[in-house]
Amino acid sequence: MELQGLSTDQAPPLSVPIRFFITAPLFGILAGFLIFFSDTATLMNRYSTESIVITHILTIGFLGFIMLGSLTQMLPVLASAKIPKPQTTSMTSYLLLVTGSIFMFLGLLQHSSIFTTLAFLGLGSGFILILISIAMGIKTVKHFNSTVKGMAISVAFALSIVFMGLYLLYGYITHDITASHLLIANIHSVWAIFGFAGILIISVSFQVLPMFYVAPKFKQFCKNRVVYIISTGLGLWLFLNLFFENYAFIGKIWLALFFLAFATTVWIKFNKRRRPISDVTVWYWRSASIFLMLGVFLWITDEYFKHEYIVMVAILIGGGFILSIMIGMLYKIVPFLVWFHLNAMGYMSIPTMVEMIDKKLSKIQFLLFLASLIGFIFSFYYSDFLKPSALFFIISMIILEYNITQPIRLYIKTKKTKPDFDMSMFK
Amino acid sequence: MNSIKEYLTTDHRKCDELFAAMEHKASESLSDAKEMVQEFVNETERHFQLEERVMFEEFEQKTGMTQGPTQMMRHEHSQIRGLMKDLLDAIDENNNDKFFGTSETLMILMQQHNMKEEQMLYPMAQQHLSANSDRIVEMMDSLVVE
Repeated sequence: MELQGLSTDQAPPLSVPIRFFITAPLFGILAGFLIFFSDTATLMNRYSTESIVITHILTIGFLGFIMLGSLTQMLPVLASAKIPKPQTTSMTSYLLLVTGSIFMFLGLLQHSSIFTTLAFLGLGSGFILILISIAMGIKTVKHFNSTVKGMAISVAFALSIVFMGLYLLYGYITHDITASHLLIANIHSVWAIFGFAGILIISVSFQVLPMFYVAPKFKQFCKNRVVYIISTGLGLWLFLNLFFENYAFIGKIWLALFFLAFATTVWIKFNKRRRPISDVTVWYWRSASIFLMLGVFLWITDEYFKHEYIVMVAILIGGGFILSIMIGMLYKIVPFLVWFHLNAMGYMSIPTMVEMIDKKLSKIQFLLFLASLIGFIFSFYYSDFLKPSALFFIISMIILEYNITQPIRLYIKTKKTKPDFDMSMFK
Repeated sequence: MNSIKEYLTTDHRKCDELFAAMEHKASESLSDAKEMVQEFVNETERHFQLEERVMFEEFEQKTGMTQGPTQMMRHEHSQIRGLMKDLLDAIDENNNDKFFGTSETLMILMQQHNMKEEQMLYPMAQQHLSANSDRIVEMMDSLVVE
């Protein structure tokens, strides 16, 4: 039996997850500017270069970074997973991913094979390095619970979407966009949304909702089966798409039912939560649940509109559901990590985690973010809405960056002072 | 008789219940919540002593590990004790922001701590101390809090 499972070095250094967290809103700002300088006709086509670039700034730069940062933090703490050389892995993959992403955006926008080749190398090695390290960490886990199992499955989906993504990027390097390119692009996006992000969010919510909000625990059926059922649904959807395309809607309905059930469950659990406090993170979870319901519903009915609304589905699910939950999580996890690390170093007279972020500013940030999403949706009908919505989005991302760096600034400032207690005996 | 793991896990749930009840009361009126906060603090302190004075001692004696997981748990207990003191201070100062700021930090820390114990330490303890499980549970059950 592992006796060293609980040790002081269990939590990785603060910089391991934080570098990913504080970079995410910067990519958000960049995406906002690209939307501002684009137009609705271009953005309504999911395969336009601008749409692909903006989507990936947000999915890799924002969502991917937060999810990878969270995995490197949560697995060692919640499951005693030992990610090999966390500091070096995190730093190296971070640099590769940042440069790879920037080369990808430049390469696609400027049709440059050199940049897309560099992007292929940077993103490929960056993603594979961090995902394989996380997978190796998961392999060391002794006591699997439903959250860790879900994380493991979502990492497997992440690896498969990375390989699909690399194949797609290769098409841009060789300027060879075949019919299979669009099919793989579709599988890549559905597996990314429901396989990687969806499964990760669902399995993390098994722990987070009862832990942060004292909401009722999920039923054993949910914890033990839902992730497998969704994975099977994604496999079925893939099989039907490849061989019986006319019946692919069956796979869609399968997935939609479980995600609708999840959205409803989140809403009900928040109604039944025992914590009386309502902060901006509760607003984010609640709005995420509504956006997920609307998004999934539109995703099914979109079949009848010949995919006319698929970009709106992406806004509702990608922005309204996934992005919302990621931002909500940042507001909880960043101040807690700062408090936890400072306290462990012997600094006792520090602000509480609630005091570390300006409540009013976080509410303004939420409202601007919400307004931008609603504005983006209505831009389909009134193109004049696009620019003000993009501005709202940019401002909300700037405020988000300011808000989550507030605790980090406190951390840096406090570390320069002498701790209240000498904690070296615990090292 | 319960196993060590079951006994201490049930005790965690009891503390969770008291925490939720105390926070609920405090959201209605901070000054009226003092009694419930004190009850939560007492119960949590009792739980810590069950571990520190009985279970951890037995575990350390049996495995010879005094610098391992139990030391880490003792350290987290001291962090939680600090926050519980802040909670009581917040009530005395009638400071709403301080109270809920502290309770938020306390809750996450406590849940994370409980998870480590329930998923790692208790199963380890149960395995190493199974022969004396009944005796240890009995000792914990009759412990007088210092």
